[in-house]
Amino acid sequence: MTTRTSPALTIAGVTAVHGRGAKARATLAPTSLDIRPGESVAVVGRSGAGKSTLADITLGLRLPAEGRVLVGGVEWCTPSARPPRDRRHLVQGVPQDPLAAFVPRWTLRRSIDQAVRRLTGEHDTESRVRRAAELAQLDLELLERRPTEVSGGQAQRAATVRAVAPGPAVLVADEPTSALDARTADAVSAALLSVTQELGIALLLVTHDPSVAERCTRTLRISAPR
Amino acid sequence: MRHSNALGIASRLVSGIALLLVAGALPWLSQRDPAASVLRARYAELEPTPEALAAIRAELGLDGGPVATSIRWWSGVLRGDLGSSWVSGSEIGPGAWSALGVSVTLTVFAGVVALAVAAAIVTPAVLRVLRDRPQRGSGPVGVALTALPEFLLASVLLVVVAVQLQWLPPYGWTGLRTAILPALALGIPAGGLLGRLLADAVASVTEERWVTVWLLAGARHRVILAGVLRRATAAVVDQLGLVLIGLLGGAVAVEQVFAIPGLGRYLLGAANAQDLPALQAGVLLMALAAVLVGLATGLARRALRGGPIPPGTLPPPPERRGDDRAARWTVGIALSLLLLILAFGLPRDPYTLAHERLAPPSADLPFGADASGRDLLARVAHGTLGTLLPSVGIVLVAVLVALLLAVLGEIARGPAEIANATPPILAGVIIAALLGPSVGGAALAVLWVTWPPLTAHAAALLDEASAMPHIRWLPLAGVSRFEIWVRHVLPATVPPLLRHGMLRLPGVALALAALGFLGLGAQPPLPEWGLLLAEGIDYVERAPWTTLAPAVALVLTSVLAVAVAGIRRNRRDGGAIVGPKSLR
Repeated sequence: MTTRTSPALTIAGVTAVHGRGAKARATLAPTSLDIRPGESVAVVGRSGAGKSTLADITLGLRLPAEGRVLVGGVEWCTPSARPPRDRRHLVQGVPQDPLAAFVPRWTLRRSIDQAVRRLTGEHDTESRVRRAAELAQLDLELLERRPTEVSGGQAQRAATVRAVAPGPAVLVADEPTSALDARTADAVSAALLSVTQELGIALLLVTHDPSVAERCTRTLRISAPR
Repeated sequence: MRHSNALGIASRLVSGIALLLVAGALPWLSQRDPAASVLRARYAELEPTPEALAAIRAELGLDGGPVATSIRWWSGVLRGDLGSSWVSGSEIGPGAWSALGVSVTLTVFAGVVALAVAAAIVTPAVLRVLRDRPQRGSGPVGVALTALPEFLLASVLLVVVAVQLQWLPPYGWTGLRTAILPALALGIPAGGLLGRLLADAVASVTEERWVTVWLLAGARHRVILAGVLRRATAAVVDQLGLVLIGLLGGAVAVEQVFAIPGLGRYLLGAANAQDLPALQAGVLLMALAAVLVGLATGLARRALRGGPIPPGTLPPPPERRGDDRAARWTVGIALSLLLLILAFGLPRDPYTLAHERLAPPSADLPFGADASGRDLLARVAHGTLGTLLPSVGIVLVAVLVALLLAVLGEIARGPAEIANATPPILAGVIIAALLGPSVGGAALAVLWVTWPPLTAHAAALLDEASAMPHIRWLPLAGVSRFEIWVRHVLPATVPPLLRHGMLRLPGVALALAALGFLGLGAQPPLPEWGLLLAEGIDYVERAPWTTLAPAVALVLTSVLAVAVAGIRRNRRDGGAIVGPKSLR
């Protein structure tokens, strides 16, 4: 099977620049990386090293200054091309602040349903959401609440459900546990690791926590440009 | 919006050039055929045949199109030739320059009054610093003084001091005694505004840490006071320029009320006579004065702060504290009085000449009757609608324009700066001269000065909304950029923008009334506050209630305007603070 050998995510010589003209400064030194399905890579480094920038570029929320990102061997984004709409479901993310994954005035379920429908084109979302919630160990009832009506740990699990339900090949988690207490953080990152392993998703995990980094397949240390 | 600066500079350059072109081409832009009006004014015996009109057009130099007209005018200006009047045919230069001289003198007097008033308002705030009990706001006196628009204050002073008490001459420009009332009418509102700004600045400077440090270090009070005042003045000096430019605009109304041959009255006369070369000259001189004021404030700021400061180096002003209960009560009371007038007046008939002329107030006619025997209560109530409905329309259009221009970002910067520096009355004078006086023209003029602050706010709100984490992440859910705008960014932007617009409603209504008062807006027999006041003032000696009724409505609106602005001022600042809840 080719999926065993070929990488799900390829980052090739990607850099980032903030601002333009005289004020421009590099925010990410040239970075290259391959992640195979089911593998997890912990991205560590000091504040300002460009960890979140790398996460944003992989998610397609911002474009690289140089280099390119491939998903499943096919071009995902380059300095001039945004991710194609029809492949949008392939890369999903779990944000640092789980509230970012949900529209505040909607129930969690509505945000998740919208994402699944838009990304997969399937009208019935029930089976996907049920399976994702099972894997993330989240009570389905909680999804009927609004983002501010659940605890931080529950919201982060819901964000995991939202990210996994559309069936991505790559998951990007940007310090998903930094806002949680130690025990909840442990449970959430364990759930994240097991879900991606179970589903064969490539995981790019930005973290400050050495114990979490240890549990990943590999660790990529990046440092600030120049 | 942090796009490249080049766009902003280009925008300013283009709009500056456009402004010069438009100013030069004003005669050509005039909607009414200028040839016909010149013919009427100069050769009353001539028939308006096409040949005669064409001859006059050629004589006026209007046959070459807008650009040629503009270039010819500017080349004349550069040679010191302001052209000649359409109406009298005589040279414009001498009359315009002497009008400017009168206006400058009046402005100097008004400036003295304004400084005295501002000092009186700021002194208690400064004394509180010494007693270490700083307090926000300048108290009810400052609010009351700022609330009165110049045209209203001028009318009241005229009625009370000149007509009733006969202490000072009611009109003319023949010596110091004739300058006192106009200087008061112009200077008191400006001083009130300046004093409030200064008092606020002093209070916020006192909360800065260095004051405590200096106090602990045992510095003398005089030294600390000097430091506080210097910082506070530096914070206010930009506003000072706007206040001075506002004086120029307010001068139109005041000069009209007191019949002073200044630049404002000159402009108004030119607009009413459709004498566009005279209008051009007046606008040019006023713009020149505004530029000089701008340069002077720039120099003053440099002296006080030592050059422009990069943004972010000064600590942000601390948040406004204290409760706004007084402001809420004021708003409630003023609003319910206005509603009371509406409730009793709207069912009555404002047009029929059913009563005795100038009938005094009675149980039957609570506000009395006007000079034509019309019910004043009905006229004031219907005038409320006649003033407020166009104002609501103006605000709504301004919100729409603001949203559109905020999306364009830096492109709108040039026009915004020009619009910001235009006094509404000046805009009204120019538009009335071009289109003829009408409600629509006045509304256009007020709209012209209403959109810039709303646009700045809209840009901040849009930036803030698009930076919200959940909106930034929506593309991950497969939501298109268009849909993100329409369903998520705009809904987060429009409600606060509408609230801001509604806060400006009383101010807009007052500007509209000022134009109506000058005869540049609504025309008789329409009931409109400013127009009612202008109609009443002729009969003020025999029937003071003709002035009193619209004045009461205007004062209520003025109070409303200032009080509304005082409620939760910090909430509509539109600062783009997005972050963890703990930081907010």
